[in-house]
Amino acid sequence: MDTFVTVGQIALGLGALFAVARAVKGPAIVDRIVAVDLILLLLAAGAGAEAARSGSEVYSAIAIVVALITFAGTVLVARFVEWRDVE
Amino acid sequence: MTLLGSIVMSLGIALSVLSAFGVWRFPTAIARMHAATKSASLGLALVVLGAGVASSSPGIVGIGVLTTALLFLTAPISGHLLGRASYLTGSERYRFDALAGVEAAPLELEPSGETDFSFTRWLGLIAVWALLWRDVSIGTILGGGAVALAIEWTRRSVASPRPVRLGALARFAMYYLAALIRTNARVAWEVATPLQDEIDEAIVGIPLSVESPQAALLVANAVTFTPGTLAIELSGDPLMLYAHVLHFEGEAPLRSEINRLESLADAVFARR
Repeated sequence: MDTFVTVGQIALGLGALFAVARAVKGPAIVDRIVAVDLILLLLAAGAGAEAARSGSEVYSAIAIVVALITFAGTVLVARFVEWRDVE
Repeated sequence: MTLLGSIVMSLGIALSVLSAFGVWRFPTAIARMHAATKSASLGLALVVLGAGVASSSPGIVGIGVLTTALLFLTAPISGHLLGRASYLTGSERYRFDALAGVEAAPLELEPSGETDFSFTRWLGLIAVWALLWRDVSIGTILGGGAVALAIEWTRRSVASPRPVRLGALARFAMYYLAALIRTNARVAWEVATPLQDEIDEAIVGIPLSVESPQAALLVANAVTFTPGTLAIELSGDPLMLYAHVLHFEGEAPLRSEINRLESLADAVFARR
């Protein structure tokens, strides 16, 4: 289980590099929001995987909290971008 | 159990990584959203559920189920808001764009009634709070009581609520789940193969004939998890659903899909 989770987390980290590249490249602000949103979801997945290794619920709690904060942040920034550029 | 959990987790991790690859690889902003909203949410859900199964700890399973439920409630909303923000602020021009020049009218919700305080619902909320803390003490009961009071205070009741039919809701959920699996298989396939050269985006508008705004909301959320489509705008008067499609083949396929969703969603809310 230990090695499995480590490999999974490394895969998630490497995957996050694609999202980082998109966040750097953009071009629109919405692209960057999507990318950062995704980085945080991958982080949550890494924490969720850690729960399987340690058997501790704390990591599951981290996953759910990160996922919900990501949602709140995405909604907030999406509304802000729309408000700033359209009105 | 460890093996089953590991398989589920591997699937989730693979979907998450593919979704990140899609965000890098897809050519336009809304196409990238298809990859991010659809695959990343199922990926995370599978990882947390798989972690619960692998560790066979009821606490981790419980939080995993909660995470999954919240993800499937929130992912269509953030996908819709991001898609709309991208459509409104972007300079993308589509071969077919039903939303061009249309001023979307806000969807009229049913009039809200007085705030009704229900003692049993309040007790139920306190029980949920105690369950989340897995602790029954003066502190959790007082804290839960305060939070439950705040929820009861701020919620607005619908003037004439429609009872929810649980059987129909279960049927809708099954269809939603099947669509979710199909859509993820499709996104994974498109990310992994050079199919994105064939991407032919369009914005399609489909008039809805559902009986209530609640059903319209269900349909809009389900459309986001239908292969190749992402709900962009829900406009009232007349009730229209605008969706971004990845491979435009005319309105007919989306129309028949939406008609099926409409009858499923309408069955959930009982007629007055």
